Amino acid sequence: MAQPLVKKDDDRDDEAEYSPFLGIEKGAVLQEARVFNDPQLDPRRCSQVITKLLYLLNQGETFTKIEATEVFFAVTKLFQSRDIGLRRMVYLMIKELSPSADEVIIVTSSLMKDMTSKTDMYRANAIRVLCRITDGTLLTQIERYLKQAIVDKNPVVASAALVSGIHLLETTPEIVKRWSNEVQEAVQSRAALVQFHALALLHQIRQNDRLAVSKLVTSLTRGTVRSPLAQCLLIRYTTQVIREAATTQTGDRPFYDFLESCLRHKAEMVIFEAARAITELNGVTNRELTPAITVLQLFLSSSKPVLRFAAVRTLNKVAMTHPMAVTNCNIDMESLISDQNRSIATLAITTLLKTGNESSVDRLMKQITNFMSDIADEFKIVVVEAIRSLCLKFPLKYRSLMNFLSNILREEGGFEYKKAIVDSIVILIRDIPDAKENGLLHLCEFIEDCEFTYLSTQILHFLGTEGPKTSDPSKYIRYIYNRVHLENATVRAAAVSTLAKFGAMVDALKPRVFVLLRRCLYDGDDEVRDRATLYLNTVGSDGEVIETDKVVKDFLFGSLDIPLANIETSLKNYEPAEQPFDINSVPKEVKTQPLAEKKAPGKKPAGLGAPPSGPPSTVDAYEKLLSSIPEFSDFGKLFKSSAPVELTEAETEYAVNVVKHIFDRHVVFQYNCTNTIPEQLLENVTVIVDASEAEEFAEVASKPLRSLPYDSPGQIFGAFEKPEGVPAVGKFSNMLRFIVKEVDPTTGDVEDDGVEDEYQLEDLEVVAADYVMKVGVSNFRNAWESIGPDFERVDEYGLGPRESLAEAVSAVISLLGMQPCEGTEVVANNSRSHTCLLSGVFIGNVKVLVRLQFGIDGPKEVAMKLAVRSEDDNVSDMIHEIVASG
Amino acid sequence: MILAVLFANSEGNILVERFNGVPAEERLHWRSFLVKLGADNLKGVKNEELLVASHKSVYIVYTVLGDVSIFVVGKDEYDELALAEVIFAITSAVKDACGKIPTERLFLDKYGKICLCLDEIVWKGLLENTEKDRIRRLVRLKPPNEF
Repeated sequence: MAQPLVKKDDDRDDEAEYSPFLGIEKGAVLQEARVFNDPQLDPRRCSQVITKLLYLLNQGETFTKIEATEVFFAVTKLFQSRDIGLRRMVYLMIKELSPSADEVIIVTSSLMKDMTSKTDMYRANAIRVLCRITDGTLLTQIERYLKQAIVDKNPVVASAALVSGIHLLETTPEIVKRWSNEVQEAVQSRAALVQFHALALLHQIRQNDRLAVSKLVTSLTRGTVRSPLAQCLLIRYTTQVIREAATTQTGDRPFYDFLESCLRHKAEMVIFEAARAITELNGVTNRELTPAITVLQLFLSSSKPVLRFAAVRTLNKVAMTHPMAVTNCNIDMESLISDQNRSIATLAITTLLKTGNESSVDRLMKQITNFMSDIADEFKIVVVEAIRSLCLKFPLKYRSLMNFLSNILREEGGFEYKKAIVDSIVILIRDIPDAKENGLLHLCEFIEDCEFTYLSTQILHFLGTEGPKTSDPSKYIRYIYNRVHLENATVRAAAVSTLAKFGAMVDALKPRVFVLLRRCLYDGDDEVRDRATLYLNTVGSDGEVIETDKVVKDFLFGSLDIPLANIETSLKNYEPAEQPFDINSVPKEVKTQPLAEKKAPGKKPAGLGAPPSGPPSTVDAYEKLLSSIPEFSDFGKLFKSSAPVELTEAETEYAVNVVKHIFDRHVVFQYNCTNTIPEQLLENVTVIVDASEAEEFAEVASKPLRSLPYDSPGQIFGAFEKPEGVPAVGKFSNMLRFIVKEVDPTTGDVEDDGVEDEYQLEDLEVVAADYVMKVGVSNFRNAWESIGPDFERVDEYGLGPRESLAEAVSAVISLLGMQPCEGTEVVANNSRSHTCLLSGVFIGNVKVLVRLQFGIDGPKEVAMKLAVRSEDDNVSDMIHEIVASG
Repeated sequence: MILAVLFANSEGNILVERFNGVPAEERLHWRSFLVKLGADNLKGVKNEELLVASHKSVYIVYTVLGDVSIFVVGKDEYDELALAEVIFAITSAVKDACGKIPTERLFLDKYGKICLCLDEIVWKGLLENTEKDRIRRLVRLKPPNEF
């Protein structure tokens, strides 16, 4: 809403006029900075100019290299002044300017003088500035002073040196690690802050030495810790020790008593830290949790919002794994629903939704209804998701929860929020049969007034799938046909498809649907007309009450078991020719991420996380490449290409990786080679493959590389025959053989004579997972039911001791090489059991679905129940064999 | 790590911003996010009453002091409680530097001193000092009282 223009009152004008920085300009301030060069320094004036420079920098203004250098040199002149206030400003200014390496030399002597000064405060500040601007070489010169400073009697000097150490540890760890004796001494300091900083530094120095950390924790938990901040650090390090000890020890948990005693500390910060540490213990028991939950419950009614937030956030996490432990706090949590801070209110609501029982659902929904109107969309989405899981937990309560969802669907809201509601309704319809008709009608009403094309088309598609299966499909037709009149072309086209589905699936409706479809033949949009024409001509029987042919139904409405991204690239690559586009030629495999990260070690995504870029299309490229090689042309259709497997270490002379291409009766290895030596040219490059440990494979062809110049990758191929349809496995050892010729990198001249040489590569294995293609299904349950139990094979396996449940789950997934469905590859923290759903296609185009149920007990023993369904009993058996032999 | 300390006036103009470990291209995003957060929630809030929010894995504690809104952003060990400690140190140091709850004018008048206080409290993303008396002495290059 536009604000009415308000006349500024006089006071405000005055205030603005007198603002010390009104109309401040960088150029003018830089001019003013010349006062730093005056022979007679005016400390007051100089301080004012520095303040202005700081103001500019704090506003996000930047200085060019020349400007920064000029200011820096001028500021260094100020060391001549003995004015204390000015000196403090100079220290800050030098840090803010962070001079480059060649300029630092100008101030180092002044700073080193200050560092050994008798005035303590000069020492402390000089240390901080030096450590900020220094590099490794200078550091070795001043190391002696820094070590002394760590044990200085003045706590400010000691803290300055310790905090400098924490920062320097990132850049020059080898130097800082030499100070551990002094830091150890500082940990015993009587000054609270020195102890805090020393503890942090000591832990960082020794963090990879488990025994040292454990000793540090043991001694400090028995001794005295002077500041709450240090006590919090100690609690964190203690939980680390507990976590690592728990894998080797059983019985009583070490240090639990210490954590529990911290719950009675006088500082809230410490109490909270201990409570949180207890709730996050691995496999925490109810008895251990109780005291922590009790203090968190007290924090819920604290007058400080920060404490309330911290408590409710922790309880929210606990509710995910131990909902029963949190129920005692429900009354306090309910009063937080009206908390002014909406973050707190949302956390309280979502916790209550997790801990509430069936009888409290209705009361809770009433409270939430009032609450929803005054929170932002992002919070609403969290609430909607929590309600969805509550409904799945208490299916009998679907009526009130569905009503709630439909009510909020009618209110104002952005796309993401509306999408979350629609998704929830769709999931409830799928999982709770009783909710179906009610939910579909809510969705129908929503599309009558929906401003989002994407949601309208999604709902229309869903209506087409579910609507015809209801008791009275005709009642949905009105809502769908309204779209043809009222909406944009995209929605109209979707509505036409939905109408046709009703016509095809419900024979009684067919004549009436045909009348409606015929009207769409005069639509203004090509796509709408085309669809109507297609359906009128294929659904068939000229609109009589006759069943539509199954083949036609499958063709028009059957699920497309090809990833859309693949079909898109295949269509783009298709060049108009006499041969029509063949949909069977589109690869079905879900593309996986290539091994790209290995090439750039240590490169981490910066900041809060930019999305990773999508994988390039490789499947089509492989197919094109292989079909262009005459030796492989009669191998038939490519079933699957693996991700590249590295056969050399990173940064070696020759980088080689291999891609395994699987055909029905053949396997082709594609060795991608790169020569990383500028002074060499490789010729006649071959890979000598020893298949003695792969008995079922016989080499049939190979394709060497004539020359491999520096930094221009080339490919070598080797083809092997194997028994048809059998997932043969084996190990291949590889040797790169070539002729090396010297190259003059400056001129590019190549010597005529070369030397034959060999280079050992790592072994390569063909495993069972290579014969399974990752092909996802959109609805696992439907797919599982439709395959049926005819060839179902179920067995149980013990996986032995494992680090965690998540590790066991990912190991089995990678062993089978199948596509995890519905996000079941993610295992919740601390969970004791997990179900994982996988789907794929086995060589020979046989669909396979796998349901894995995992359980873990105390000493980390993992047991697994494996149920396989496929279209072929041999394949079901083979999946079990893979697991049994893996 | 304390990712950011930001001061804004009541109209949402930045008075001080100090980032640590935040890439330059993300700073603008953070600045506008925080200013919007303040505009949405700080109206009618009492001086020094702490508000808290979390965004992804990052925590934000913010408050109002006279004409000035103060935001502190942290992650990992600097969770909401640690940040509450940081912001408490900042508000008490600012009040101490200004002599009372600051107006925007007073804040700008004492700008240099406030920058020095901040320098003592947060150093490259780590909390260094928390007590206002100690900070007051440190900015004047005087040793702390307890020494």
